[in-house]
Amino acid sequence: MLPDETRPDPEALLIAAAREGKGRLKVFLGAAPGVGKTWEMLNAARRRRAEGVDVVVGVVETHGRAETEAQVGDLPVLPRLSVAYRGQTLEEFDLDAALRRRPGLLLVDELAHTNAPGSRHHKRWEDVAELLEAGLDVWATLNAQHFESLNETVARITGVRVSETLPDRVLEMADEIEFIDLSPAELRARLREGRVYRPDMARRALEGFFREGNLAALREIALRLAAQRVDRDVRDYMRQKAIPGPWPAADRVLALVGSDASSDAVVRHAKRLADALHAPWIALHVERPGGTDTSRPALEIAAQLGADVQMRAGADLVRTTLELAAASNATHIVIGRARSSLWRRLLGRTFAATLLRQGSDFALHVIPLAGPAGARRAARRRIPRDWLPWMAATLLVAAVIGAGELFHPWLEHEALGMLFLAAVVGTATLYGLVVALYAAALGFVSWNFLFIPPLYALTIYEPRDVIAVFVFAGVATASGWLGSRVRAEARAAQGRIENLRRISAFTRKLGEPPAEPDLLDEIARQGAAIAGLAAVLMARGEDLDIRAAAPASVDTMDAGSWAAARWAWTRGEPAGRGTATLPSSAWRFLPMRTARGLLGILGVRTQAPLEAPQLQALGALADQAAAAIERVRLASEAARSEAQAETQKLRTALLNSLSHDLRTPLTSIRGSAGLLRTAWGTLSAEARVDLLASIEQDTVRMTGFLADIMEMTRLESGEIVPRRERVRLAEIAEAAIARLGGTAPVAVHLPDSVPDALADPQLLEQVLVNLLENAVKYSPDGAPVRVGAERADGSVCLTIADDGVGIPPADLPHVFDSFYRARHEDRTRPGTGLGLAIARGLCEAMGGTIAAQSPRPDRARDAAPGTVLRVCLPALTQAEPS
Amino acid sequence: MSGARILVIDDEPQIHRFLRPALASAGYDVEVAASGQEGLRLAASRSPEAVLLDLGLPDLDGQAVLRRLRQFSKVPVIVLSARDRAGEKISALDAGADDYVEKPFDLGELLARIRAALRHGLAQDGAAETFRLEGLTVDLLRRQVELDGRPLALSPREYALLALLVRNRGRVLTHRQLLTGVWGTAHAEDVQYLRVYVGQIRQKLGTAIGALIRTEPGIGYRLLDALPDGEG
Repeated sequence: MLPDETRPDPEALLIAAAREGKGRLKVFLGAAPGVGKTWEMLNAARRRRAEGVDVVVGVVETHGRAETEAQVGDLPVLPRLSVAYRGQTLEEFDLDAALRRRPGLLLVDELAHTNAPGSRHHKRWEDVAELLEAGLDVWATLNAQHFESLNETVARITGVRVSETLPDRVLEMADEIEFIDLSPAELRARLREGRVYRPDMARRALEGFFREGNLAALREIALRLAAQRVDRDVRDYMRQKAIPGPWPAADRVLALVGSDASSDAVVRHAKRLADALHAPWIALHVERPGGTDTSRPALEIAAQLGADVQMRAGADLVRTTLELAAASNATHIVIGRARSSLWRRLLGRTFAATLLRQGSDFALHVIPLAGPAGARRAARRRIPRDWLPWMAATLLVAAVIGAGELFHPWLEHEALGMLFLAAVVGTATLYGLVVALYAAALGFVSWNFLFIPPLYALTIYEPRDVIAVFVFAGVATASGWLGSRVRAEARAAQGRIENLRRISAFTRKLGEPPAEPDLLDEIARQGAAIAGLAAVLMARGEDLDIRAAAPASVDTMDAGSWAAARWAWTRGEPAGRGTATLPSSAWRFLPMRTARGLLGILGVRTQAPLEAPQLQALGALADQAAAAIERVRLASEAARSEAQAETQKLRTALLNSLSHDLRTPLTSIRGSAGLLRTAWGTLSAEARVDLLASIEQDTVRMTGFLADIMEMTRLESGEIVPRRERVRLAEIAEAAIARLGGTAPVAVHLPDSVPDALADPQLLEQVLVNLLENAVKYSPDGAPVRVGAERADGSVCLTIADDGVGIPPADLPHVFDSFYRARHEDRTRPGTGLGLAIARGLCEAMGGTIAAQSPRPDRARDAAPGTVLRVCLPALTQAEPS
Repeated sequence: MSGARILVIDDEPQIHRFLRPALASAGYDVEVAASGQEGLRLAASRSPEAVLLDLGLPDLDGQAVLRRLRQFSKVPVIVLSARDRAGEKISALDAGADDYVEKPFDLGELLARIRAALRHGLAQDGAAETFRLEGLTVDLLRRQVELDGRPLALSPREYALLALLVRNRGRVLTHRQLLTGVWGTAHAEDVQYLRVYVGQIRQKLGTAIGALIRTEPGIGYRLLDALPDGEG
């Protein structure tokens, strides 16, 4: 054995760790009602209260037993919640009150109890599970007969089927189990004394459920359950503490769940077997072509009982089963005793026999059918309720009779049999087997009575007619059966195709990832196509929110449905209609999850209960939808980070440019000064003058740069407060051109008709200087820059046009950003990269706008593209006072 | 050394405006180029003895100019960098630059670097096998190191590191160049080795001579091939 075999089993430690932080559950387990579970629980609870524990009775059913009532004593009792149901008032355990009260120890009687419709959970044990999750300690009582896996056994022993069942894993939730034992004789004595039921009920009970044999058997079952549990506790302890022991070889149980009535029994037996072997188990359902799917309830129970549910499709049941058995190393296979046909049994070709002949490495368990009544109910074909199929079948046969009467003189009566057969096959194809059998019987009688000699009697003369009649009966039945089968298969295939079509259409729609809202709309539409009404819910802040719905008018749900939706969201499990949690709500909710987590909830609302194919389609839709949502989110995340990287790149470029712009004049100044100092004597007089001029120019350049940075900083901090007064644009242009010092030709065309603007004259002058400097810089030498004006709706615009190389379209949106220079001009023109940014800032501070247009719209053909910069400000008419 | 031809590749006219008279008055023959393409053309046609290269050029990235230049010339290159990011300098040095000067630079410093670069260019051609400075003598042929006339014991790795610095005296060697040269490519990132060994060599050389190995923070090391003159 490997040395690390003695390390504590990590799985066992994990389970122990998962229990931390949760409440502890103690179960008082009994074999039958009346053994004193509640009494014992209350008694122990009062002792705990005396020790100072905050004990509260959540719910206790005293059944009017005085002894039990006395035990409640002074324990505080939570008020029951009154639930109105069909004119009755039901008193239920108030889960929310318990959660609010948060006692140190809560007592909850009868775990198997079914809550009133409309409660949050279907079963009381689910309430307890929530309490434990919330960290509350709970004591509870339970009878062994309520366990799902024992249900079958108990029913067979006592003849009474217990309807209130709970999954076996409830016992696994318990941290501690106290077995309340009472011998059958004592229990019967207590019954006789009227300490359990009222005397008249007690008498009936003593003869029925409480027969001594029944009680002994129930006691044995409960004891075995408790013993198994003790056994497991010991094993858990040994694994946790790394005590080496003889662990059983890995057994694995494979249960074959068919569509017949024995499947429940198969599931329960497999669970018991797996428990006894401490082995994992698999519930396999093989979907065969043409088979109608009624295995779902049994599979759901299997899943609840902890099975790994596997679905396979295949025509060969035996081969599919053996393949999975081999793949999963199954050592035990559990099957139901199928209702094999007589000839199969005679040939020794039952399913069990074939399985044994073809495979060998497993033990085979064959489970008997539950009971003839149940079997027949499941096997019964559906009889059409409405009259149309019957009427149509009758009319078809009548038509054949009519034709027979018409052509009788020319036709042998044998030939008429063919016509009747045609009617039967037609009926089978249209309406199924039952109606076809009716048509066959009707046809048989009519043919015999009306056409086979002697006419108008059901007797037959000719021996060959006798043969014909029997052949007719056989062929009619067989063809009816075949016809109905074809119909059923066609229907099933159609249903499957419909689902496939829907899913593939959905997948196709997602081929090009849409935006998330569109995707959610599409999911809702697909959901609605399957189930009528559908909605997609997702978290918004703390709560859930309807993000998309189909039809779009669905924008709200009732409170019960909201509760179910929240439950599905927090737990990541299905909830609502048709599930175990809040089944009374109108909606059903499916979680949409991927490996990365729960993304949202798909809700559907239907008039009729959903059937298996619809549920399958919805499940597939939820999975597909989750994957699609995740993909869309990942795509947008990628786009976002790409944009961020782009911004980062731009910022780096700007910093480089800024650093270059500041250092270049500094380098030149420092170098020139150094040269003048060290080599004054060797330099010519002209060289000295040039170096000094260079220092001067670079100082001016840096001063301008610093001034621009200061201006920009002031603008960005909102320190500039513009005045607003009447401004004559021609005067501003004149002043700005004067400031440029005649370095470049500027042509001004501002006639008197141009209205005045509302602006700050000094700031507007600065804007114009910056724009003109920019335009001159980018103009070919000698080409004039033109200043003009345009009137727009309520405002006046100054235009500055040049004949330069223009601005590439990609750069147009950025030309007014700080330090941005059109790329193709990078560093070849001096400047700070702030001129246009400052112009925009000043303009906006004055309530105006600024824009660049390139190429110029009015440029001559073959001319340079040029650029127009446009500054628009509020206009004042000549007459209007400022 | 006077009369050596220096090629200046920079796009800023203001830089040329003072560099040209500065280099001329130091006795150099100056060629100027305002773009990478022009610089490469002049480097090929005028065979300068040293190149001053600005990394931010309008047409070609300075790094690209360096790589293309190295395809046909071993001329010493001093990078003029206005970018204050060490990464730029390291990749320029790795791409084959001999030294760098950061803008705004001191004229004396630049001239000293140019002299060192020119010496290095000559040393390469002349393949001087013995290095002498102050009391240190390194004989690369006989693998002997003497300090003040006495043989100095160095471990093989210490010797390999010192020899590499000696062979490239005056040049900045990046961490990567030193590590791959001494330890091999697998240790190209283990700068810690280098710190330890340089520390050991300096200790054995003593304070005064150990200071000849200059640390270029974040970039690498350089062995001075002459005592720093008063200009800097």
